[in-house]
Amino acid sequence: MKNVTRVLLMTVAVAVGVVPASRRLSAHHGANLYDMTKAVMLKGTIAKFYWGNPHNEVTVDVKDEKGNVAQWVAYTEPPLVMLERGWTRKSMTIGDEVTIYIFAARNGSTVGTLNRIVLKDGKELTAYPMPGTPAPPAPAK
Amino acid sequence: MRNILVTAAIAVAIMATVRAQQGGNARPADLSGDWQPDRTRGGMGQSLSPSDPGGRKRGNEDDIPYQPWARAKTLSEKTSTGPESRFDETTDPQVIYCEPPGVPHIYLWPVKMRFVPTSEAVYLLYELGPFFRVIWLNAKHPEDPDPQWWGHSIGHYENGDTLVVDTVGFNDKTWLDQMGHPHSEQMHLIERYKRVSPAQLELDMTIDDPGAYTRPWNSHRNFATSTTGFLRYQQICSVRENQKFFDDVGKPAVGTLPRK
Repeated sequence: MKNVTRVLLMTVAVAVGVVPASRRLSAHHGANLYDMTKAVMLKGTIAKFYWGNPHNEVTVDVKDEKGNVAQWVAYTEPPLVMLERGWTRKSMTIGDEVTIYIFAARNGSTVGTLNRIVLKDGKELTAYPMPGTPAPPAPAK
Repeated sequence: MRNILVTAAIAVAIMATVRAQQGGNARPADLSGDWQPDRTRGGMGQSLSPSDPGGRKRGNEDDIPYQPWARAKTLSEKTSTGPESRFDETTDPQVIYCEPPGVPHIYLWPVKMRFVPTSEAVYLLYELGPFFRVIWLNAKHPEDPDPQWWGHSIGHYENGDTLVVDTVGFNDKTWLDQMGHPHSEQMHLIERYKRVSPAQLELDMTIDDPGAYTRPWNSHRNFATSTTGFLRYQQICSVRENQKFFDDVGKPAVGTLPRK
């Protein structure tokens, strides 16, 4: 049980269950490549943050219980869209501990589509919504 | 009495001249604002097919009257998004060459647009590119226009709430949407932009392309106003940046082995 708890806390956990098939239409790449039915939770530290076209990339080092580090890359929509969701090029600080929720690659690769990220200070930034859920409201200018 | 009639006639003539300068007899439509795909009413979608906006029936939609070659061409394409996307080997010219998406393909991107009306033309600005189009008012198409990426557009207002845009002179290099639907240089596109509420804009399109389809067909887009500012970040396509994305996120997901 302890191990199970550690796994849940330290490594990968399925955070959200299966949702109904999406009626929402998204233009992101590879809905067939990434498992959009569940967001996987990962805790780790920010290794890199690429702010630019065609997509932002958040790179997170995730350590397992044995101390092995796996590097995950989660992409978002481009800066133009993420600015509307409250992101900026200074949203991420290298080395900060974060929790990410990611639609991971179906083939087991440590890449995927970012659903949301909880920053060190507890602030949550949203990215691709869970299929079937409404898009988050855009903050006012 | 005669002076009154003469004065009235002159006034009517002046008003007609002003309206003509503004693009026809109808008063200009107020299309001000920054418009983005309405995420609560269909969003961007993948396909112009009204019955298959998600692109699940690509090449077999009931409402796209393909000529045989156009259907075969559609089915031969590899899309970068959608249900069967293979963005590592896509044939989408906009992704692999960073070519202009053209119209109506640009409306399947998460970018805003802005109408800038003047007396001679309406300028349509897009955050993607950034590209712009010129919709000439009180104008005619050239008799034999050079085929170009955005074609040659003329426009007029109707009913005080609609801008009608008529475009010919396209080249045949762009896709109509994310699903790879082709068109020929014969495409004649009619767009009708109508503000249906202060915060909602609708676009009805008729695609009349006897070079690719057996009859004209229609599509529709919904837009909503945005208050987050126009062009806060330049949505520029770079082959180098696209390659970085493929390398970082695409190839590992496509490959059969876990990423090292």
